[in-house]
Amino acid sequence: MSLEFGQRADLVDVRRVGIPRALLYYRYGIAWRTFFEQLGREVVLDEPSDRGTLEVGDRLSVDECCLASKLFLGHVSALIDAGVDAVFVPSLMGYGRFDTFCTKFQALPDLAANAFAVAGRPVRIISLRIDELHGETEEAAFKGLAARFGASRKEAARAYKAARAAQRSYDEAMAREQEKLVKSLGKLPVAERPLTILVAAHPYVSHDPFVGGVVEDALRDLGACVLFADETDRARALKRSYEFSHSIPWIVNRELIGSILMLHEHIDGIVLMSAYPCGPDSMADDAIERCIKGKPILTLTVDAQAGTAGVETRVESFVDILSYQKKGGYLNA
Amino acid sequence: MRKIASEPEQSAGEPCAREPREERGRITLKPGEPRPLFFTGKHRKRDRHSRHRVAFFHFRSYGPAFRYFAEQVLDADYVPTPTPTRATIERGAEMSADYVCTPFKHIMGDYVAALDAGADVLVQVTGFCRLNYYGELAEMILRDAGYEDFRMLNFSDVATGKVRDYVAYCKKVVNPDLSIAHGVKSLYGAYRMVEHIDAVRDRYLANAAFEVEPGSFDRVRRSFLSDMDAAQTNMDIEAGFRRAMDAFDALPLDKPEHPVRVGIVGEYYTAQDPTSNLDVERKLLDLGVEVSNCMSISRFNLHYNAEASRAAIAEYSSYDMGPTSTFNIAWAKRYAEEGYDGIIHIKSAGCTPEIDVMPVLQRLSRDYRVPVLFLTFDTQTSDAGLDTRLEAFYDMIAMRKVRS
Repeated sequence: MSLEFGQRADLVDVRRVGIPRALLYYRYGIAWRTFFEQLGREVVLDEPSDRGTLEVGDRLSVDECCLASKLFLGHVSALIDAGVDAVFVPSLMGYGRFDTFCTKFQALPDLAANAFAVAGRPVRIISLRIDELHGETEEAAFKGLAARFGASRKEAARAYKAARAAQRSYDEAMAREQEKLVKSLGKLPVAERPLTILVAAHPYVSHDPFVGGVVEDALRDLGACVLFADETDRARALKRSYEFSHSIPWIVNRELIGSILMLHEHIDGIVLMSAYPCGPDSMADDAIERCIKGKPILTLTVDAQAGTAGVETRVESFVDILSYQKKGGYLNA
Repeated sequence: MRKIASEPEQSAGEPCAREPREERGRITLKPGEPRPLFFTGKHRKRDRHSRHRVAFFHFRSYGPAFRYFAEQVLDADYVPTPTPTRATIERGAEMSADYVCTPFKHIMGDYVAALDAGADVLVQVTGFCRLNYYGELAEMILRDAGYEDFRMLNFSDVATGKVRDYVAYCKKVVNPDLSIAHGVKSLYGAYRMVEHIDAVRDRYLANAAFEVEPGSFDRVRRSFLSDMDAAQTNMDIEAGFRRAMDAFDALPLDKPEHPVRVGIVGEYYTAQDPTSNLDVERKLLDLGVEVSNCMSISRFNLHYNAEASRAAIAEYSSYDMGPTSTFNIAWAKRYAEEGYDGIIHIKSAGCTPEIDVMPVLQRLSRDYRVPVLFLTFDTQTSDAGLDTRLEAFYDMIAMRKVRS
């Protein structure tokens, strides 16, 4: 998209921008929010997911969609009800040959537009496209969008820069926090060290209270220390993942794998969580189970029907096994 | 020091230093092959053939093109992958993760069958979505299952996407001696063969339902494919294609003026491959339908105009929604505009990009008032349910046609 500042400002009338609290909001949400606030727009976020969100989303979706995608449509619906002028849904392709996103993220704006058109509730969608492999860079995409909001070249550059900086400082803070935690755990004497469990899942699974929240709570209730594979130094994790695989094409899975490798010696077990049926995870989790050796792995698939009881039982038995093992096997417990 | 000028007794024209009178008769015998007196400029051809035994996965009727690629372009041995059976498919499903996309399961089954048949190089292509990772994961699974003695020719390993690197990679894995000149020529042959295979399929699907002599179209198609399988040179390919087209022309046909027409769109592998889709095309032909299947290597890989397709469906999607999404939506729209009576959308279970296309097709169906049947295939092997749904769909569109 070429930048035509002042010429194609077709979004000037959009005052309230809605951002659905789903999918890549959990990865780029701070950047998006800052960006629109810098452009002087009001940003509306809907409530975190609950069963109601899922039910609404389920009705709007094709049956076979993944859980996360159903939740996404539920969130968009909530934003429409909240009376926003437009909903921001970017189309993210990727940053390189093997650093791409699931095709779901590429299809999202059109998916949402068509799903709501079929349901008879047309929605106005603001979008941008990032496909760095084919020359559509993140910077150009954001600046192009700012231009459509009527921003000047300078304002656009400032908004993009602020957005990037805000997201980066948040990510770095989270990574630092976790690093500190790992270090302090290492200082404790072995006997007092709590069970350390790494949750490896897409951020919209592990940090969504309705999906991954249950698992996190269950782990904490059992006295385990929970680390997140998506709260590490992403650039380093991404680089590290090339040691594991050269051709796995998804950037988020790459970062998760890199984090697992980086944290491998500090953890007692891994929980792989995925939203049914997740395309990338269907292959990446298989590879992780085959190749990450020496640590017990619990693979959890969360789907639309299940209540939380099943998940809690599984997590509980996993923690039991780990704590027995830590004490030197069942016989010594 | 070396002498430059030759000595008189060493010079070439000097006769042997014998008295001519002593030479009355002589018998000589030298071992070896006869050779010409002078150097004629011809070298004996170097044996460039590689002894590697290359196998592909099963994919529709492209087997002959794969063979031609392996034998002529790579100049190696070719192991035909056995026709998939129920056991093959089950083996593949067993070795794969539960909800990985179905083509992966089929391909795993094929790989195991090919290795059991003696292959030692397995080919996997690269492309889009999960396909990029197929090769590496398949290799990992096979090695874990105890198959050690094979290599992967996995085009995802070539990260740059440059032709030069693909050639270097083929040389490294399969045949270090492969002739570039012969390879390029044969690659063109393989390209033409793929085009011909698709042209024959399209012809077959359009007319086979209306044949006068039962089985005649299938006979021509089969003999064409076995011709292609036997092809050694580019000339054989062209001759075989012409023969098949002439044979099609000669077949008697009883086609109504306005037959019921159905267009097939869908996921790249499942929409084409009869093993994966329980031969949906054949079932439609048996119902007396003119079928058109938009998906083929020639249409999607060789002659695809992405810009034009994108422009054609601008009202339905503003960005590419997935690897084959724009293509499928554009073809569905085209079928609708051309007055096809129904559209069938075929995908494998869990195919994310095609699931995302479904709302668009639903909208298109409403806008153009054309029925769309959505079919999802997993590794199931029973087709009774499919028959019922196809018959119901056929009855519905046939009735609509009569009424309009």
